[in-house]
Amino acid sequence: MPDYTLTANTPLNGFSRDFPGVSINEVNDRAIVSIVAPRDGEKELIKALKKSYDIELPNAGVLSVSAQDNAVLFCMAQDQYFLMFDYTGNTATTVVHSYLNDTAYLTDQSDSYVMIRVSGANSRCLLERICPLDIHPTAFPVRAVARTIMEHLGTTIIHEGDDNFLLLSARSSAYSFLEAIETSAKNTS
Amino acid sequence: MSQINRIDGGLLDRTQKLNFTFNGQTLEGFAGDTLASALLANGHKMVGRSFKYHRPRGIFSAGSEEPNALVQLRSGAYQEPNTRATITELFQGLEATSQNHRGSLKYDFMAVNDLFSSFLSAGFYYKTFMWPKAFWEKFYEPVIRAAAGLGRLSGQDDPDIYDKSFLHCDVLVVGAGPSGLSAALSAGRAGARVILMDEDFRMGGRLNAETLSVNDQSGYEWATQAIAELSAMDNVRLMTRTTAYGAYDHGIVGALERVTDHLVSSNNKPRQILWRVYTKRTILCAGSTERPIAFGNNDRPGIMLAGAVRAYVNRWGALPGKRVAVFTNNDDGWRTATDLAVKGVEITAVIDSRDGQPPVAVPNGAAVVMGGRIVDTQGRHGIKSITLSNGQKIPTDCLAVSGGWSPNVQLTCHQRGRPTWREDIAAFVPGGELPLGMMVAGAAAGNLSLSSVLQDGHNLGNKALSDLGFKPTTETAAKSDEETVGISAFWHVKESKARAWLDLQNDVTVKDVKLSHQEGFRAVEHLKRYTTLGMATDQGKTANIPALAVMAECTGKSIPETGTTIFRPPYTPVAIGALAGRARGKDFRPSRLTPSHSWAEEQGAVFVEAGMWYRAQWFPKAGETHWRQSVDREVTQTRASVGVCDVTTLGKIDIQGKDAAEFLNKVYANAFAKLPVGKVRYGIMLREDGIMMDDGTSARFAENHFVMTTTTANAVGVFRHMEFCRQCLWPNMDVHLISSTEQYAQFAVAGPNARKLLQKIVDRNHDISNEAFPFMACGEVTVCGGIPARLFRISFSGELAYEIAVPTRYGDSLVRTLMAAGEEFDVTAYGTEALGVMRIEKGHAAGNELNGQTTAQDLGMGRMVSKKKDCIGNTLSERENLNRKDGLSLVGFRPVNRSDELKAGSHFIAKGKSAEMVNDEGWMSSVAYSPSLGHSIGLGFIKQGSERLGEIVRATDPIREGEIEVEIVSAHFIDPEGERLRA
Amino acid sequence: MIINHPLLGPRDASEFVYKGDASLIERPDWQADNAAELFHDYLYLRDNPAGEHQELWYHEQGDRSWLVVTRNTLTHDITNVELARDAVLAKQAKKSGRGEK
Repeated sequence: MPDYTLTANTPLNGFSRDFPGVSINEVNDRAIVSIVAPRDGEKELIKALKKSYDIELPNAGVLSVSAQDNAVLFCMAQDQYFLMFDYTGNTATTVVHSYLNDTAYLTDQSDSYVMIRVSGANSRCLLERICPLDIHPTAFPVRAVARTIMEHLGTTIIHEGDDNFLLLSARSSAYSFLEAIETSAKNTS
Repeated sequence: MSQINRIDGGLLDRTQKLNFTFNGQTLEGFAGDTLASALLANGHKMVGRSFKYHRPRGIFSAGSEEPNALVQLRSGAYQEPNTRATITELFQGLEATSQNHRGSLKYDFMAVNDLFSSFLSAGFYYKTFMWPKAFWEKFYEPVIRAAAGLGRLSGQDDPDIYDKSFLHCDVLVVGAGPSGLSAALSAGRAGARVILMDEDFRMGGRLNAETLSVNDQSGYEWATQAIAELSAMDNVRLMTRTTAYGAYDHGIVGALERVTDHLVSSNNKPRQILWRVYTKRTILCAGSTERPIAFGNNDRPGIMLAGAVRAYVNRWGALPGKRVAVFTNNDDGWRTATDLAVKGVEITAVIDSRDGQPPVAVPNGAAVVMGGRIVDTQGRHGIKSITLSNGQKIPTDCLAVSGGWSPNVQLTCHQRGRPTWREDIAAFVPGGELPLGMMVAGAAAGNLSLSSVLQDGHNLGNKALSDLGFKPTTETAAKSDEETVGISAFWHVKESKARAWLDLQNDVTVKDVKLSHQEGFRAVEHLKRYTTLGMATDQGKTANIPALAVMAECTGKSIPETGTTIFRPPYTPVAIGALAGRARGKDFRPSRLTPSHSWAEEQGAVFVEAGMWYRAQWFPKAGETHWRQSVDREVTQTRASVGVCDVTTLGKIDIQGKDAAEFLNKVYANAFAKLPVGKVRYGIMLREDGIMMDDGTSARFAENHFVMTTTTANAVGVFRHMEFCRQCLWPNMDVHLISSTEQYAQFAVAGPNARKLLQKIVDRNHDISNEAFPFMACGEVTVCGGIPARLFRISFSGELAYEIAVPTRYGDSLVRTLMAAGEEFDVTAYGTEALGVMRIEKGHAAGNELNGQTTAQDLGMGRMVSKKKDCIGNTLSERENLNRKDGLSLVGFRPVNRSDELKAGSHFIAKGKSAEMVNDEGWMSSVAYSPSLGHSIGLGFIKQGSERLGEIVRATDPIREGEIEVEIVSAHFIDPEGERLRA
Repeated sequence: MIINHPLLGPRDASEFVYKGDASLIERPDWQADNAAELFHDYLYLRDNPAGEHQELWYHEQGDRSWLVVTRNTLTHDITNVELARDAVLAKQAKKSGRGEK
């Protein structure tokens, strides 16, 4: 037995709060691994993804959704994808490597983000205060994803379902990001 | 008696009585009133004093163009000066006071200015208060500012909150008058995403204030129906109390919504919201603004715009006067006479500047003077009578003036658009290049009759639809009777001897414009600045065109030749608080917290802002009363045993790819291609011009996998630069970058007992002995029973040191564990101050040395810049002047008198030379008190420093007035051989 | 200001960082005889057109791509946006002669 043990915390210690018409919840049961195909190696990655996750490489702006570990795959940068899946362990890249082998360069990003779900009838009204993108369902349907800036913080927004958005922003500024969301909730409720 | 001038009719809710105060007097109005309409209904004519001459002034208009009726609202910290009574919605408990007078409004001591008016003409201040120069700031300006002016700020923090927000739509319709409603209906019915906004609290625009009918209903009934239809559409958003104040690049429109200004309290909700609207098409339906005619003493309370007079009567049931006269140059002015006559108001006279026959039936009892001129008016605190050019005097308590209508073209000009003159309506209409996606409908486009306006809005709504690929519906535009809109330009009464006002808010008269012309300020932009015409808070909405016309007359040019000044945002004033939005206090920018932040707070750490990061600066212990005590202790304890410091803020970049090593070789000036796996190397990064950009380390974890660190300050910039290199310079390389700054909590563990401490938490299967894990080793290990970690044997402090990184989720736990496990070694946490002291003692360069002016050569690292490879900056680093023999070099300094304190920023001057720029030899970049040496030490750049060790120079500090003698020494104050690092 | 990103569509300028003249993508050969001169010109000499200007923007708060944006300095009209990487590869292809086929 080791003499010392480490305990994990989450960026917002499991924050959850309801406002009229909108709920704000920290999500902390998902891992994120960045996936990049080596130059000229995209075909192998596509094959491996198909075989393991039964999933396509998505175009920019849309999610690919897999039943395997409830994984979703989306494009973060040219040639760079984020795979987000149910997992709370310490070695997310090992999990993904077991599926994709050496078809991709992997980087663990699970601890890099705070993930906040904003849901409820008032969620779009709330997000209008901080999100410069058009998130009307006609412009940003369910399964749409985009990265933008909210209150000076880079943020990835995913339209998970009707009136249901998942936001990813940098972990170190999690409380400032939460403040931006909570203020918006107060100001719009 | 209350509401003595209230009559029947209007769009008021008379079941809701509202009490308010004006200058302390309690008055009563109704829901639906503005402050202006309620004041008129209560018989208050005089509501303020003018800016310069302190002339009595009354309500002039019924909208946002108001130049006169500026009042102070609310009290205490909520006090807001210069609000326009004409757009202030009445609410229960509203407090208003008049502005710009000493003593009471009626008996203003400063009214004496009016008697000296002949001295106070345009340019007066510039000409008079020139001498002596020193008097301007201390005497003239304060006196002038106290005498001339508007309302007063509370002097307290604004207690209200403000917000900003984003909107997206296909079609933005600005203005909900007849053309706006028409446009919104046609666009909305076809399914486009439409936003309709209006500055008023009631949509309908002119229809609320006129007796015209639409589709065989009264105008406002049709408007009410249209609004109901629009609000039932999911694709249409209606925004009242919202002013589109600016048209920006690429179809962006700025709008201000006054959310709670009409409520007694904001209830902790945003008072105002600044909207940024992204729209594909904008239909500007901003209507038009009536302008006055200038004649002698035309500024008395009771002299109003003709359209405003009938608006108060028709919409608000408030009588501006009981015996009303009309002075007009157009048909529309007559409508005021007929509308008021229908309400039973006595019309004493209609004076039309045009010759010929009256255009409409003359109201009963009204004297009609065609080709008439008013030369003067009488009445100290409100108009009592008018004098015509033929000498005739007509008693009246309200004079309605119409000089025609100017389309509200402002937003069309915010992006280079220049309006064009239309002689037939004697007005400027939108012209030139309009902002992207903007179309103009209705009166704003110069269509002045109701039927044409309705059709125009409808047509442009359909035009927007077809532009955007929507199919217009088959509905047709609403219909209205034709109205007569004839006008013949007439700007001012030349026969007037008394002063005739053009700009009521800034007190600019016809005489001032003539003077401006006489003194050579003839271009409109000069006219504006010389006379201050149009520079008040109303931006000359009612004043500019008549003044231009007077200038045109002086120069003998036409109005289009004379031109207009440029319109810039905002259309109406926007509070600074609204522009700031949430960005106040701690919400000014986000803060980034390190993984050990909570723990550090528990220790009572003092934090310092480093960019957005909050870093522990030092950790005071009980009994330490001065920061130096804490810092000295942290340094001493670390050097004696072991210290722990959170270094998470350093930028970390994960670099992978078959060409990763080659890529690093190109972005670093020193060689990296052959760095073995499991090793770290210090790297210097140059800018392409050969100046130092950043330094840091890169660790090779696998053949194709590196982890780079950057300085905290340059983390973002270095990543951006490397993406530029990767995408724009070497796009064929197989190399990929991702930031892992947030992914890992990283701690420096430094001091002779660092290894012993780490051995307590690193799992035993990982050998971190000096032999297995020497200086500059790196590797993946596990800690505390299997938690993955990265270990680097690098040292910034100069001690035996490591940096250990764990997934951020364990950061808080790791610092607690390190401190607990280190108890037996008397471990200390150290902050950025101790970090700084130790790096100066060791002679390591940091931000102060990498200041964007220094080269690798200056830093004594010139030989690291490889000449054998292509890398950013090496070609230009070879420039002659960057490699001078007498160039700067980084060395250490110590005071000759050891008790002297060195100061960063001091400049070095040779002994015996005067402290002047020509003798400047360099500067002190970093200083610290070294607890290890017991005196102040410094790093600095001095010419040929490395060859001058032992020499004594003066460190002068002319700003803080000090000069001490310092000795040039090696920058490596401690352990110059680096034995501790390798221990 | 709005930049129409070739992959992501119209995005607000607040997501972008400006660098400068797009000629910065044409870095000189360090082994050329007159390399110092070439680098000097590359780094310091710029056209300053009143009209169409090609410039580099970085989508820092988006997909981190570098873009070559053609913007009219007089009107702010943006007439073309392409990925800088594509622009560089096209230039390289042209140089090597493949572009002429």
